[in-house]
Amino acid sequence: MTGRLLLAALVAQVAVAQVTQAQLVDAAKTPRNWLMYSGDYRSQRHSGLTALTPANVKDLDLKWVYQAKIVEKFETTPLVVDGVMYITLPPSDVVALDAATGVRLWEYKRSMPPRPQVCCGQVNRGVAIQGDRLFAATVDAHVIALDRKTGRLLWDTEMIDYRTGYSGTHAPLVVKDKVLVGVAGGEYGIRGFIDAYDIATGQRKWRFYTVAGPGEFGRETWAGDSWKTGGSSVWITGSYDPELNLTYWGTGNPGPDWNGDVRLGDNLFSCSVVALDADTGQRKWHFQFTPHDEHDWDATQIMMLLDRPVRGQNRKVLVTANRNGFYYVLDRATGEFLHGRPFVKQTWAVGLDERGRPVRAPGKDPTPEGNHVYPGVAGGTNWSSPSYSPITDLFYVTAREGGSLYFKGEADYKPGRRFQGGFANNERVSGDWYGAVRALDPSTGERKWEHKLRIPSIAGVLSTAGGLVFVGTEDGYFKALDASSGSDLWHLNLGGRVRASPMSFAVDGEQRVAIAAGSGLFVFGLR
Amino acid sequence: MRLLLALLALGASAQTRETNPYALTDRDALAKGRQLYSFYCVFCHGMDGASGRGSQLASSYRKHGSSDREMYRTIADGVPGTEMSGHWIEEDEIWKIVLFVRQIEQNASGRGQGCRADAGGDPVRGAALFQHACGSCHSAASRLGPDLAAIGATRSREHLRESIVEPDKVISRVFRAVRVRTNQGEAVHGLLLNQDQYTLHLLDVREQIRSFQRSALAEVVFPKESLMPSFAKSFSAGEIDDVLAHLCGGKR
Repeated sequence: MTGRLLLAALVAQVAVAQVTQAQLVDAAKTPRNWLMYSGDYRSQRHSGLTALTPANVKDLDLKWVYQAKIVEKFETTPLVVDGVMYITLPPSDVVALDAATGVRLWEYKRSMPPRPQVCCGQVNRGVAIQGDRLFAATVDAHVIALDRKTGRLLWDTEMIDYRTGYSGTHAPLVVKDKVLVGVAGGEYGIRGFIDAYDIATGQRKWRFYTVAGPGEFGRETWAGDSWKTGGSSVWITGSYDPELNLTYWGTGNPGPDWNGDVRLGDNLFSCSVVALDADTGQRKWHFQFTPHDEHDWDATQIMMLLDRPVRGQNRKVLVTANRNGFYYVLDRATGEFLHGRPFVKQTWAVGLDERGRPVRAPGKDPTPEGNHVYPGVAGGTNWSSPSYSPITDLFYVTAREGGSLYFKGEADYKPGRRFQGGFANNERVSGDWYGAVRALDPSTGERKWEHKLRIPSIAGVLSTAGGLVFVGTEDGYFKALDASSGSDLWHLNLGGRVRASPMSFAVDGEQRVAIAAGSGLFVFGLR
Repeated sequence: MRLLLALLALGASAQTRETNPYALTDRDALAKGRQLYSFYCVFCHGMDGASGRGSQLASSYRKHGSSDREMYRTIADGVPGTEMSGHWIEEDEIWKIVLFVRQIEQNASGRGQGCRADAGGDPVRGAALFQHACGSCHSAASRLGPDLAAIGATRSREHLRESIVEPDKVISRVFRAVRVRTNQGEAVHGLLLNQDQYTLHLLDVREQIRSFQRSALAEVVFPKESLMPSFAKSFSAGEIDDVLAHLCGGKR
């Protein structure tokens, strides 16, 4: 082969094809790649790769580690496209790695203005991709587009002035010609929204406010001017149904967190899921899990889309395990409530009525002296991703058992300052906290098995077609469970808290599993 | 909001000032400081800064520094290795808490620092009793209990009396007792060093580090009782006063 031919062959080999919208829709059909935060538009975080199995997972071995020079929590879910991995580092950097070796290909380092206000760490959970472009939200409340071969900045659009407490922390969602992203800042009296930007130009195409303002549906659910500081942030990636052309997003707590007196009413669309037309941002329906929340139970969990029989009828459903302790099944075309039940101990509600609205137990609001309520302030689960395996037909979720003391305090709004109206504390109540990975029947929420964790985990779960469930723990373990039974098949101490969700990909034909722990990204495969 | 606790641990240490922007003459700031203190601090330090399980604030002695900047840092970041956690609150709120603590300090100035050595008991007899009954666990060289050489500067006499008579009432998380029994039947008692889902590590009563796989343990018990026995019966009331006089008169 001549030099020129050899070069041409090499170029052909390494040339990366553009990621098309059709590929995104069919992401689950190409399991060697991981094309979006939750794996596919249905947010099932399930890998179709079968090489790793309960029989061979004991031979799982470290393939490489990427050490990030960070002290902040490392929450990224990597994307992998044809042998190249894309991760984000806190606060808002993007790095491309060779997926076979972990060697860095390029890095986009973003300079940050002084003191962006982020409640819980200057974190970032990942990028989105389409064509030759990567998209990320930044903690200074911008959206950026990068060339995925060089990391070059292509456009940079400010969503809103970060100085009043807005930030961007979640991986965006690309739908057709738009990149969708919401704002965090639920502890700063922001007015939350979800935006769509033109992927070519960065121009904003629509905005949906998650706090209903004047002239909008739900305005009357906010007393007085409280809508102006109503929070309802968006900090976890939404889902998308291409047939219905609807995109589903969970929303955060109303502001202030623990004192609802200054915002009487249901506070739409806080602690809700909103179904929006992906082209226009128009609300098709909404469902509020926790009307007038006073416990900081954001509904920023993954909204998982499943197609399955419910009460003898095939339905397109949306399922989610909520921070308020209940598991929900909704019709995702209409928002109709189909089913709900607790998946952890909860003491705040007597139950759900026929429309899914909670029937409150008396005396469970925060008080100046502190009120002991279950679940705790971090919820029955938190932002950690659940997964669904079509092999076992089970929904897997990291559950948190325990209560908190909820304190009500004053709520004075000052722009860019914390606006919380109290606080919550776990340390002053009895130490009955524990965590678990739970497998639920997706139609009923009934528990099929659990794997107990000594400390509740904020890490997500990944299921694989080989019959495994991967999860990380607060005490630094990465582990593989049997997807059918929950038995502990393999674990390794990674030496740092796991605050991210696992993903899987293949490189050179071999399955890999990746997890961020401490300040390292760890990649495993069979030895 | 996500994990509040994580942030409590992180704290808000990025203070921009060396000194408190508020003065004790600022009644509004002081009132706000009192309110914040009653929210965040009272549980361990008591409203008077002298009646809780935490370090005594009704004193001008500060183990971790008494300058404004140092007190700010202690509140914001906490004290590693102790029960004092950091606080995730606004900078000016921390300054207002510091202000209220300064007032507690000022009000206490007539009462001297820490616990009073002159409230009864003979410190010389107390020192001998302490050496004999307490020294093996509570000296600078021992590991099973806190070194009490300077405890009088930061704890009230009442708190110390309670700790001698009812040691099980409040047990510091730093000194958590654990009792295990191995599958072979060996019983081991000591202080917990660390544990995770698969392992457990302790300092046994002979001060040896012992590490176990949980699968090798038939039983793990965290007793509600302190490793320390009560001295309510083994000391007379007069002897307890002697020991208190010794402890309260220690290093400052």
